Amino acid sequence: MESPGIILAFWVLSAITVAGCAMVLVAKNLVHALVFLVLAFLGMAGLFLTLSADFIAVAQVLIYAGSIAVLMVFAIMLTPLAARDNANSLYLLPALASGLGIAAIVSFVALVTPWGELQGDALAQNDPPTTVAIIGDLLLGRYVLAFEVASILLFFALLGAIVLVQERGSRESQ
Amino acid sequence: MSAEAPRPATPMARQILEHRSLLSRARALPGEARFVLAVLTLGALVTGAGIGFLVVTGQLDGRWYDIRDLGNATAHFRDWTQRQGIDSSVPYLVTGLLGGIGILSLVGGWLVIGVWAERRLIAKFQIRQGPNRVGPFGLLQPLADAVKLLQKEVLIPIGADKLLFFLPPILIFIPAMLGWGPVPWAPKMSYADLNVGVVYTIAISSLGVLAVFLAGWSSNNHYALLGAMRTVAMMVSYEIPISISLLAVVLFTGSLQLSDIVAWQAQHYIWMIVLLPFGAFTFLFASTAEINRTPNDIGEAESEIVAGFHTEYSGMKAGLFLAVELGNALLVGAMMSTFFLGGYSLFGLEEWVPGYLIMGAKTFLVYFGFVWLRATLPRFRLDQLMAFAWKFLIPLSIIQLLFVAVESMLIVQSGLPGIVTIGGSVIINAGLTVIGVRAWANAIGYSPKEMASPPIMTNGVGGLRAAEQIRAAS
Amino acid sequence: MTTVNEPYVLNIGPQHPSTHGVFRLRVVMDGEVIRDLDMIVGYLHRSMEKLAEERTYTQNIPFTDRADYLAAMSNNLGVCLAVERLAGVEVPERASYLRVIFAELQRIASHAMANGTLVSDAGAWQTPLLYMFREREKILDLFEMTCGARLTTNYMRIGGVAFDPPPEFWSALQELLDEMPTRIDEYASLVVDSEIFLARTRNVGVISAADAINGSLVGPALRGSGVPWDLRKAEPYCVYDRMNFEVPVGRHGDVYDRFMVRLEETRQSVEIIKQAVAQIPDGPHKTDIPLALRPPPGEVYGRVEGPRGELGFYVVSDGTPAPYRFHIRAPSLINLSLLREMAVGVSLPDAVVALGSLDIVVGDIDR
Repeated sequence: MESPGIILAFWVLSAITVAGCAMVLVAKNLVHALVFLVLAFLGMAGLFLTLSADFIAVAQVLIYAGSIAVLMVFAIMLTPLAARDNANSLYLLPALASGLGIAAIVSFVALVTPWGELQGDALAQNDPPTTVAIIGDLLLGRYVLAFEVASILLFFALLGAIVLVQERGSRESQ
Repeated sequence: MSAEAPRPATPMARQILEHRSLLSRARALPGEARFVLAVLTLGALVTGAGIGFLVVTGQLDGRWYDIRDLGNATAHFRDWTQRQGIDSSVPYLVTGLLGGIGILSLVGGWLVIGVWAERRLIAKFQIRQGPNRVGPFGLLQPLADAVKLLQKEVLIPIGADKLLFFLPPILIFIPAMLGWGPVPWAPKMSYADLNVGVVYTIAISSLGVLAVFLAGWSSNNHYALLGAMRTVAMMVSYEIPISISLLAVVLFTGSLQLSDIVAWQAQHYIWMIVLLPFGAFTFLFASTAEINRTPNDIGEAESEIVAGFHTEYSGMKAGLFLAVELGNALLVGAMMSTFFLGGYSLFGLEEWVPGYLIMGAKTFLVYFGFVWLRATLPRFRLDQLMAFAWKFLIPLSIIQLLFVAVESMLIVQSGLPGIVTIGGSVIINAGLTVIGVRAWANAIGYSPKEMASPPIMTNGVGGLRAAEQIRAAS
Repeated sequence: MTTVNEPYVLNIGPQHPSTHGVFRLRVVMDGEVIRDLDMIVGYLHRSMEKLAEERTYTQNIPFTDRADYLAAMSNNLGVCLAVERLAGVEVPERASYLRVIFAELQRIASHAMANGTLVSDAGAWQTPLLYMFREREKILDLFEMTCGARLTTNYMRIGGVAFDPPPEFWSALQELLDEMPTRIDEYASLVVDSEIFLARTRNVGVISAADAINGSLVGPALRGSGVPWDLRKAEPYCVYDRMNFEVPVGRHGDVYDRFMVRLEETRQSVEIIKQAVAQIPDGPHKTDIPLALRPPPGEVYGRVEGPRGELGFYVVSDGTPAPYRFHIRAPSLINLSLLREMAVGVSLPDAVVALGSLDIVVGDIDR
């Protein structure tokens, strides 16, 4: 795992990700910020690839760079205030608080995780040829309840969206 | 009235009459040229027979010069470097570069030939000649077009977002190239045989949306923005049916790896399109929406929004958009043949013919289908297209997925011979497609035959009262 | 906090694939839906009616070629009929038959163009258009044989037609008439039952019969709404009263009906030409009129059923060789006035198809 290619890739991808995130904060224009966010997502996907997490990497591209970005596109296009700058946020304090909270959680997990157990031979032993089968087994086995709850949540979100659109319903009759 | 034979009265008609066909030109060849042609044909036949002998005796299998599968050569190269004690990154780099160049030249070459092929084909559909002036049969027309595009001034509209205006032509090219990665051209021959190939394919195809949106948004043009929003909405809708139809394929084959999917089809001697007719239709239809081709080319509907999201692009930037459109069509052809048409396999013929040639032929076949559609069908309206995805394709795909889940379990676990389970699945799915589509269409109240009605023929003359009488009488 | 939505204004044209020429639609949109629509015409105005007051009656005929440039023969015919009535010129019978043949050929060519562009507007990649162009091309060849021009024919004259068709014209015409019905069938089979085309045109751009009459719609657009009004039947000119043909009228008044009415009219035109070819007598193709024709003072409104509908020529003479007033009642302009009713409240693609179904020619609108 410690071949120079991987290390180089790690640093390059980290630089892309961090720079992308930084540019999201700096960019004045909302659409520019979106583009940099997608860049950061793609860098993240690359980082997953260096960790041999192929499914997660592809899912990152599919869901974040593909779908979430499009969701944001719609959000930008549908908000009346889309023309305003990135800088004059209305929710500065909540955003700061939640951001710091997430950072704290991530740091905590990173500190608590026993990284030492997963090094060298132990890592090689646990290195599966493909992660897809394991993820599938876990999702429909051990974590099936969470999986189902998530699907029900999404289903209700879908229903909610339909109901919301229906109530507005002053569309033309055809 | 005169009884003499009609003579061509106009210059154009005379020109057409005097036009010599290819066959008549071949007949007029001199004797020497015919002799050379005959010798060449004989030589080709003898060489073919020799190769056939090698293949039958099995002297070719797995050798580095076994060009039926270029994967053999790279495997031998990798072994050789290992024996020489060279670091393992070297063969990866070399083969990676070679494969990248291969894909680039495939797509690049296709852009040159494809423009010509599509224009010629559509011309044939439309009973006209097509480009036939530049070079033999007009083959150099794409080069002439490219030179013309390169010479053109690149215009940036006033008020355009300069950075984002420059990005999309490049951005849209990336997924069109990356998508070729996992495509298997022969059993061992694919650029990156990812074990999450299917998900990768869907993920890559969803990346193009952003480039399209940026192109439309940054142009500061109302047509472009309309086209971009149409395309984005359509792509988001049609990703779901594509995913579900591919999910059905994955359920049968039990693998996300594209080479495994092809191998399963080769092993069971069945194409997915037979097993999953509705899935194949969904994939094809949704793909036409994804890549903006007729009948779903609403993103750049020429008669409505000029050129859609790339209205404001000029010169080679516009050329890049058009090129990507063409490349995407070919990519979808490759995906379609991989998932539904048996990929590089052709019922044993892949032992004889290089798999990549079979794959290429199938790809072009699907592409030809796209050209046919483009030459034939009118365009849907945006809301009809959305309704078709959400009310029709997605529910039916989900229903089919339920059946497929049961069938795939039966195939794997019942222990019955494959001919029973797979044959049963074919029948069930075909019946489901016919019955399901009809029942669903009836359920959502669609009856096209009532809509097509010829006009009423009348001899009468009059105004409103006559109109009412005629309507009452019919 | 109030949200201000500025209107999303789309300028369709003057250069746009589906305006069929140079005129402009200023469309206010809400998403894909059209909320308001202005038609801005005049980009092709050549001041024909004023120019006509400085020229003799015969010199005015070429102007009408350029008015509705897809139906030059019908325009020629209209102005000739009006002036003949004003001046009391008798037309030889052979000339009347030739006029009918050429006017109907022109109708086929024009309807081919109209229906082809309509399907192209609906998104077909020009295949139906080019299929119908095949026959249009042959018709234009016939025009070329007869009068040397394909588009701006300038063929009709006051008191007859300019030339008698050459001998090879008749065999070529017979060939065309023989193959035309199968060609129309082939063309119809491409489009008429196409589900996508049906979905795009059925119940789109509906005009009721009452609305059509109130909006003084003419031609296939009027007949598409179900009103059986065809000047060839209602007020026969030339020798139409000797022809046996039917008038197609639509059932719903939508785009599809207008398309089908044009298609059926093409078939009927073929029948009319067949009858005319069978009946045509020998004789002179033209009466001699003085070079500077001086009709007696007075006014006349002559009208013909052009491919786009009632084409009227209002001519006032003060006894001089040039008309005192020369007005063209252009069907395209009047038909276009109903676009607003059809397009407001529907989505942009529907509006484009509705515009295409009206079959406007901008030269006819602006003159």
